[in-house]
Amino acid sequence: MNVQEEGEVRIKEETDIAIARRATRDLATKLGFGVTETARIVTAASELGRNTYKYAGGGVMLWRALIDNDSKGLELRFSDEGPGIADVNEAMREGHTTGGGLGMGLPGAKRLMDEMEIQSVVGKGTMVTVRKWRRR
Amino acid sequence: MTNELISVIKVHDLLLATMPSDPDDATVAALQEETLTAMDQHEVRGLILDLSKVEILDSYFARTVAETAQMVGLMGGETVIAGMRPAVAITATELGVTLGRTRTALTVERALELAGQRNNATRRR
Repeated sequence: MNVQEEGEVRIKEETDIAIARRATRDLATKLGFGVTETARIVTAASELGRNTYKYAGGGVMLWRALIDNDSKGLELRFSDEGPGIADVNEAMREGHTTGGGLGMGLPGAKRLMDEMEIQSVVGKGTMVTVRKWRRR
Repeated sequence: MTNELISVIKVHDLLLATMPSDPDDATVAALQEETLTAMDQHEVRGLILDLSKVEILDSYFARTVAETAQMVGLMGGETVIAGMRPAVAITATELGVTLGRTRTALTVERALELAGQRNNATRRR
């Protein structure tokens, strides 16, 4: 898996969630994802970006254009230095929330993307990585 | 940073609110206040919420739309959500978003027809 291009969006304020969405949309469009696939990717970015803002008070979204053999894809990595997730399995459960939301952010983002990895250490921070590959 | 705003206009005895393509959270939040205030000012029967420009409906946006419809209901009005794009409908469903029992229409034109039929039915009674 090779990284073709990368960049980052800092998420400090609520308006940065929309900026992260726009950066994601531009990347997905550039890589040739269709309208529905782009909507899935941008929606996942919005849910994860909002989690970063809401639960950790901010962080960074790192985006990457990937090539694996002949497949093109993109990766989004949201990292923060927030409180961390005590129980990742519980956080992945539908409807589970500690922040007054609907609890669909993480499980919803997982359904919309092809791959998802969560690394979290309580008191240190959280890193959520998602990937989507182009169907041919 | 420039962000398109919500347009709210009165059409006969209805309000037509049009959402921009990718509103930030503040713009989404303004939806509730602007439409409810306009409902009160113009004494309209209901709200048509035009989502035809909208390219993404995440859980926050969807929850705000559902809540707004509920609030309009409390004020005695009815909400029709119009013009949701196929990609948005697919993505929102996969995400797990629902809009409660809010009525929907394919286009704003259909939503106006729907509202008109209801109006005539009420008059005939």
